[in-house]
Amino acid sequence: MLLHALVAGSLIGFAYLHPHEKPWGQDQATAGAVQATMVSALPLPPRQRTLDTGVLTSETPSPAPVVAKEKTEPPPKPDEVAIPQKITKPVKVAEKPTPEPPKHPQPIQPPPKKAATGETAGIRIAEATMQLKNGTASVNVEDKNFGARFAYYINIVNRKVAEQWFTAEADPRVSNGKSVTIVFDIDRAGLPSNPRIETRSGSPTLDMSAMRAVQRVDGFGPLPAGDHITVEYTFNYKLQ
Amino acid sequence: MTSPALRSAVCKQIARSSFALVALLLITGTSSLFAQDWFKTETSSGAERIRIAVADFKPSSGDPAAVTDKSTFDTTLYSDLANAGIFDIVSKSLAPQATPGGPSEIHLTDWSNAPASAAMVAFGSLGVQGGRLVVSGYLFDAKNSQYPQVLAKQYNEDSSENSARQVAHRFADEIIFRLGGGVSGIAETKIYYVHIAGGNKEIWAMDYDGANQHPLTHLGTISISPRVSPDNSRLAFSSLGKYGFQIKMYSLLLNREVAFPSTGGTNLSPAWSPSGRELAYSSSRTGDPEIWISDANGVLSRRVTSFRGPDVSPTYNPKTGAQIAWISGRTGLPQLYIMETDGSGVSRMTDGGYATSPSWSPNGQFLAFAWDRKYGPGAPGGQDIYVMEIATKKWIQLTHDGGRCDFPSWSPDGRHIVYANSSSGRPGDTKIWTMLADGTQRHALTGSGGDMPNWSWK
Repeated sequence: MLLHALVAGSLIGFAYLHPHEKPWGQDQATAGAVQATMVSALPLPPRQRTLDTGVLTSETPSPAPVVAKEKTEPPPKPDEVAIPQKITKPVKVAEKPTPEPPKHPQPIQPPPKKAATGETAGIRIAEATMQLKNGTASVNVEDKNFGARFAYYINIVNRKVAEQWFTAEADPRVSNGKSVTIVFDIDRAGLPSNPRIETRSGSPTLDMSAMRAVQRVDGFGPLPAGDHITVEYTFNYKLQ
Repeated sequence: MTSPALRSAVCKQIARSSFALVALLLITGTSSLFAQDWFKTETSSGAERIRIAVADFKPSSGDPAAVTDKSTFDTTLYSDLANAGIFDIVSKSLAPQATPGGPSEIHLTDWSNAPASAAMVAFGSLGVQGGRLVVSGYLFDAKNSQYPQVLAKQYNEDSSENSARQVAHRFADEIIFRLGGGVSGIAETKIYYVHIAGGNKEIWAMDYDGANQHPLTHLGTISISPRVSPDNSRLAFSSLGKYGFQIKMYSLLLNREVAFPSTGGTNLSPAWSPSGRELAYSSSRTGDPEIWISDANGVLSRRVTSFRGPDVSPTYNPKTGAQIAWISGRTGLPQLYIMETDGSGVSRMTDGGYATSPSWSPNGQFLAFAWDRKYGPGAPGGQDIYVMEIATKKWIQLTHDGGRCDFPSWSPDGRHIVYANSSSGRPGDTKIWTMLADGTQRHALTGSGGDMPNWSWK
């Protein structure tokens, strides 16, 4: 208590004896001020990590290890250990050959007269043939890859030209049994161009009708690939 | 005189072909047949159509909204391909029940073998993901097991029944374009027509297959002969107002009427030039109905016919835009004429009867028109749709004994003709029918009260 009073008294006395020369906010040219500097963190010493798991640092007493009683294995039951059996191999029996059925003479199928390319699955030839009322029309593309990839397009070409072939334009007596081949190009947009007769039939009217059939086609639709293909188109005139 | 050869030629026209009939006609001879004993002759080469099968699409998501979309899509795609006129379509009862959703799931032999015997298969999957309709469509060549794919398309639209229908139309058009010789399909086109309801006639629109019928104008008067512009932006029609019949213009982009100047007299039957810059119509501003041509805004009009007698129903040659076919009554009963757009080179096409409402085919070779060949009291026959080849003036009759037929209009691919038919002859019973350009596959698109159809240009 006395010590407290002494300290308080000395503080008050000290302040009384040494008054502050420049208190804040005075109406003077050089007023006093306090400078404060902002810091983002205080440089405190790193905190000691307390380990709770160590035996020495933890405050909880660690449990004593459990000592288990040793167990003795029971003797095996009489049926637990298998007695090895004697291995007997299966008896092999020879296979009996089944008698073949008696052979009867089979009628020989005549080979088909119509070319069936383009109608079979997995066509590899770039060719399609269409049976028409008066003859057949078949189309052939030089680019074999194109024909295999886009067989449907070959069929469209075949169909479009066949639709435009007016067999009535050909003289039936002269043209019967003859065939003419026209070659033409198909550009990227599917427009036929530059038709020319490759193989003449010997019947001018048939040649003319075939040429006109190609010229009448407006288009085959855009090419699925490439910028042009060359098509060989054969018109077979055969009176039904 | 009619000609079976021309009939076959029009059949071929469905396969979109240009042809020269002259030589054929010289060889086959000109068989003169009377109109009443008609029979279908076929002089075509016997080339078959592509046999196409359409599988039901596989639902790729369990969204309940996808169920109605899928059924709409399946039926629309099937009917589009069946209506195309270039396919032999496998009926659903013959096709396998499988719904392959992608290339890995399809067994082409199931489709190419009997009974389906399809040459082409259209299949795919359809689903709704996050409110979007996602459709994957494929077209496979069933006969080519090594490289079967012809077409693969993917569509992504807002999910609704209407967008499912539009996607089906688009996929069908793509198939028709690929397999039909590069001619765009018409599944996305529209038909504008007059809807008769209670004394008023308004302009309506519908899809090409009769779906989605909706009104355009609400004028409360009589509006007739709609004609859509080549760019599908405007619709010209003739409407009865305070000053009689005047040409009116309706904007399909703004969905409202736009200005078009009125003139004196009666103004009827507008027709767009294929460039979309000119409009030909019949106007009686001088006292006599004549064909006038103005620009698309109705100004700078000039007269191109000059004979006494009514001149109506012009139609431009869509291929060249340089000729006009129209109906003129200068010799008495209305007959079909053609001329150049400056009024020169007038040539009469019909030799008698009562011809009305021509429509010029898109490739410029044919005129479809309505014709009553034996016109008069007690005469046999009636008004039917005919198609005439302009080069030879040979014609074929497309409709028979079905009542009055009028107002044919060609589809933009030249494979179809839409027309108005009244089985009883009464105007109130008029329905809009469609058929292939050889007169087959006729079926009605609307109920009673549809008239004056006009097929859009694209």
